[in-house]
Amino acid sequence: MNVRLDSELDALMARLADGDRGAFTRVFELLWEPIQTLCRNLLKNEADAADAGQDAMHKILERASDFDRTRPAMPWALAIAGWECRTLARRRERRREEDEASIPSQAGPHAEEVFLQRDLTAAAMAALGELSDVDREVLVATFWDEAASVSGPTLRKRRERALDRLRKTFRSLYGLD
Amino acid sequence: MGSTDLHLIQRRVRRTYELARLRRALMGILPVVLVTAVAAFVATRPTAPLAFGLVTAFAGAMMLWHGKDPQKAFLPGVIAGLVPLGLALGAGALHTCGAGSCSYVCVPACVLGGVVAGFAVAGVSLQRRAGVWFWVSASGLALLTGAMGCGCMGSAGVIGMGLGFGAGIVPGLLRRVFGKDTRQPGDLR
Repeated sequence: MNVRLDSELDALMARLADGDRGAFTRVFELLWEPIQTLCRNLLKNEADAADAGQDAMHKILERASDFDRTRPAMPWALAIAGWECRTLARRRERRREEDEASIPSQAGPHAEEVFLQRDLTAAAMAALGELSDVDREVLVATFWDEAASVSGPTLRKRRERALDRLRKTFRSLYGLD
Repeated sequence: MGSTDLHLIQRRVRRTYELARLRRALMGILPVVLVTAVAAFVATRPTAPLAFGLVTAFAGAMMLWHGKDPQKAFLPGVIAGLVPLGLALGAGALHTCGAGSCSYVCVPACVLGGVVAGFAVAGVSLQRRAGVWFWVSASGLALLTGAMGCGCMGSAGVIGMGLGFGAGIVPGLLRRVFGKDTRQPGDLR
């Protein structure tokens, strides 16, 4: 995607966050292809990619009103799509594991899954490398609920960030941006 | 994927967007619900605060859901309306409300509160160089919030507050209308 389309998307997302429904169709058009492409590349499966892509579009537009207009829209949307793809891949993998567990004779390492997992990890690392420090921080913050409990300066920092997010939410809720 | 499928997905995603905005709006009116509960608890007759509170919450939710200027007008409108509401409830608490004697203090309190609220709404609107919908939305919400307190006096309190509000907003309106000629074209919204 070129710079002109990126800045168009940024402007349209800001309008959509403000409640300007006129921007909706164009935002959908600008996001649809890049998200489908990302999902196809990550999942290597047309049907799974279509499912994950649609789920991602729902999530992105669901959060459109919280969009932080100081940050570029496309990396934000792709991060959400990447997360959706990862969630779907995990879900599928878990289901396959359960199926295999129910058939004792087929127990053992599954080469295809290992490769899929490796591909996903490589793609995620590459995608993370493309993001800014701020974007990376946000993604890391997404994993907080999975992290072990902490104390001291780390906890303080986390609290500060959480408060910052709360402040941003308040500002976007009442249109104070 | 066919264009019909894509159109269908787009419609579903649009519905998700609207529902998300509605959820946010319902979360955003929690302060109004709190104010209504406090007003109904403090007021001698809770019917008016509850009725006007319900209308205020509904109007506020619609404004937050709609977005743009009405969304931005929500907070200034509610805060400005707290002035007549507070004054009316204070006047009601100071006097034991027998029908005549209480209204004697409450109506002037509502008028005064209305004037202050009008000034406040006009001030914020001018400061933000807001459009017409901001003025209309903020004024409507300020009047509804104030009416939670002034409504206990019946129509006299609400009318008094409305007149006070009108008087308070007039200087700002005049400044907006006649101040346009002196502004640079880039300043206009």
